Amino acid sequence: MMPRGCDMGSIVERAEQAGADEVEVFHVDGKVTSIDIKRDEVSLAERSIIYGMGIRASVDGAVGFSSTNDFTKVEEVIENAIRYAAIKSQDAGDWRGFPSNSKYPKVDGVFDKKLHDIGLSACIDLCCEMIDGAKSVERAMPTSGSFACSSSTRTICNSNGIMVCESGTLIEGSIDSVARDGDISTASEFDISRSLDIDFYQIGFNASDLASRSLNGITIESGEVPVLFRPTAFADIIGHALVPSLSADNVQKGRSALCGRLGTAIASEELDIIDDGLLAKGVGTARMDDEGTPSQKSSIIVNGMLENFLYDCYTAGKDARKSTGNGVRHSYSSAPSVGIRNMTVQYPPTDIISETSHGILVSSVIGMHTANPVSGDFSVEARNAFMIRDGSICEPVKSLMISGNVFELLQKIDGAGFDVRAVGNILTPTVRVSNQRVIGSRG
Amino acid sequence: MDADFHDIKILETSNTSIILDNGAIEEIATSFSKRAGVRVLVDGSWGFTSTDDIDAIDDALRSATTLAMQAHEKAPCTSFPIITLTGPTNIRHISKVKKDPRDVPVEEKVQLLKDIEQQMKLPQIVSTNVHYSESEIHMIYTNSEGAECESKLTRCGFGITAIAKDGDLQMGSDSRFGVCGYEIFNRYDALSLANDVATAAVQLLSAKASPGGHLPVILDPKLAGVFIHEALGHAAEADLVLEGCSILKGEMGKRIASELISVHDDPTLPEFGYYPFDDEGVLPARTTIIQDGVLNHYLHSRETAARLGFPKSGNARAQGCGIPIVRMSNTFIEEGDASFDEMVEDIQYGIYLIGSRGGQTNPGEGVFQFNAEKGRLIENGSLTTPLRNVSLSGNTLEILKNVVAVGNDLKYHSGLCGKNGQLMPVSDGAPHIMISSAMVGGSA
Repeated sequence: MMPRGCDMGSIVERAEQAGADEVEVFHVDGKVTSIDIKRDEVSLAERSIIYGMGIRASVDGAVGFSSTNDFTKVEEVIENAIRYAAIKSQDAGDWRGFPSNSKYPKVDGVFDKKLHDIGLSACIDLCCEMIDGAKSVERAMPTSGSFACSSSTRTICNSNGIMVCESGTLIEGSIDSVARDGDISTASEFDISRSLDIDFYQIGFNASDLASRSLNGITIESGEVPVLFRPTAFADIIGHALVPSLSADNVQKGRSALCGRLGTAIASEELDIIDDGLLAKGVGTARMDDEGTPSQKSSIIVNGMLENFLYDCYTAGKDARKSTGNGVRHSYSSAPSVGIRNMTVQYPPTDIISETSHGILVSSVIGMHTANPVSGDFSVEARNAFMIRDGSICEPVKSLMISGNVFELLQKIDGAGFDVRAVGNILTPTVRVSNQRVIGSRG
Repeated sequence: MDADFHDIKILETSNTSIILDNGAIEEIATSFSKRAGVRVLVDGSWGFTSTDDIDAIDDALRSATTLAMQAHEKAPCTSFPIITLTGPTNIRHISKVKKDPRDVPVEEKVQLLKDIEQQMKLPQIVSTNVHYSESEIHMIYTNSEGAECESKLTRCGFGITAIAKDGDLQMGSDSRFGVCGYEIFNRYDALSLANDVATAAVQLLSAKASPGGHLPVILDPKLAGVFIHEALGHAAEADLVLEGCSILKGEMGKRIASELISVHDDPTLPEFGYYPFDDEGVLPARTTIIQDGVLNHYLHSRETAARLGFPKSGNARAQGCGIPIVRMSNTFIEEGDASFDEMVEDIQYGIYLIGSRGGQTNPGEGVFQFNAEKGRLIENGSLTTPLRNVSLSGNTLEILKNVVAVGNDLKYHSGLCGKNGQLMPVSDGAPHIMISSAMVGGSA
């Protein structure tokens, strides 16, 4: 299939003639349908068409990048990429080349024809189900929500002979609810999938149910207690405080607390963390990453030991090894950098809540983006937290801060539930941390 | 059924960014894009189409109309009368820059960033990052009321990060962005800023963990600005008020803060949140959110103004060709008359919180959490021990009522504000403010 608006092969040839040692063209063609919800009404239906390309050229061991969706500017974009590569090569010629001669694995569950063909009317129906779910809980109402489904095709062509293309679909819904009975409490819930298999009513119900159950919380004293992080909370912590330290780019630049820690114990003995670009139906699943490296499954932490970092082509070249298929782009207008595909947290599961005699259950946290990505220190507000006593979830807790360090937290994990959930591209169960500093508002 | 209103926005942008990492070029990239967004209102329901094909506006208009009609038929919204424009409908603003960044050779920019980086080479600094970006956005806005607006805005700026190591790692960072050209480097001394950032990172290595609990605090202008933006500004956005997701709902005309506090949002100030017309073609003006402690105005789009029966809007903004929503611009706490030294002298035991690593707020519950970049202990009226990773959290309205002094040293800081997945350039302004009691948490 020829991508809309450009002949990628001829762009590669033109850039080579213009002086590039190597060339890569990344092209995206996609459509998105999205719907906004305000209170219990569909307030906006939106469709967008996105296509464009990014060109990377290498000159003397350095790479330059430029992009456009205006195909009359292709010559200028080629020129920019080559010029920038030449300027950069004066600093360092440590680029080892684009992928070549790759064989691509087969992946399952990334494209759903029904989702590709879905009409607006069916999308609105799904939103209404989500709203109905949120309205089904006494004392609670939805405040806002969103829905999006997309279908897009990525094509990568490079001067080493790679020409690979893949189509994928994605659907997601989220809703915020507020509950009132004198006191006021909010909660949000979401779900995301590669195919049309989400229960939208349940998303709405869960948000309102959580908001309602969080009403009239107690305040507690500060101290160190066992804390159980629900998947949404734990994924947020891992994503902001641990993931940056696993990037080979940060390791090579001395910006990771895990520099020099390969082969050493960094987490509780029973904890495994895997990044899997091949996971069936995963949000981050594809045959190839965004620079054409075949996707793979990489063990990052095994039995608490740090086994591997995440690499794209550039960082792999610097360490004279192969990319782990973690070259990720935000859009055609950005160059690839190291990113996770589907990061999976694994720990022997038990009936974790009923095994906890005393602790706090935290559904989500706010402020995790303020974590220190280098040291792993964080200080966040816990949202929709509950006391756990004698194995049962008891009264809600208001105004609770949690502060700590992700690397200390990893060592203190002593349990996990069966409730593994994909929070975007991080999959995790509820995780228990044996003693965690919490700051209550009762002094 | 006919459309009640439509508008069309066409954007052409070019963007260049340079990243210098540990003194070496990490990235130089230029992107060009053209995009159109078309919005149609049918009886309270919006349809929106955005496309990379700006030659197909008629198709996009048809598609948006169909979307609005289908949305209306399937799940009708409460209708509202869109308020008509009262100001001028033809606004043309071509920003004048002293030095067009595109006229400066890339090689020269790279050299300047390298000079900036050199200023960070202190013994304990193990890693540095300097980034630069310039963009030019050409926007043409038209609507079914006959408005025709055009603007060309240039934005330019830089950010600096230094990491110091001595056992553990500490970070310092700062940035300066503006609606201006390459003269940003004349306006600010990037070299000394780089040195300050590196020095701050090194000093944090020996800083102590902060004590926790309810204490008197002083917020520096940067953190006070982040606080007023995040905790109060978002709650004043009328779309959140309408959603029932703001603690300011039902508080209009009531005293919600110390009478020392007045807060304004002003898109006309020449700061990073400046715009000549909003993304609905409205000529913007200053909005006073709080006057002497009393809630005075919310921030509005044309829809929220109509729904709440308010006569004017001017705060609808969109990232690129996204859908316009209610956003802040340049939001600031009006200057008071206290000096910083007087504030410190008034505190027996408390904390001075400096800078911001960002924060988050829940405008519906009125709770917030921010992490300061660093802090100083205040003992017996003097600044003492340097502190690290200090955080501030609590209830927005309680904090606003607990303000006991407002400084005479207003400063603006540029930033990007995220809402509904759209990032907008804004600036936050504040002087030093003193709060009699706030919850401070350390992360040690």
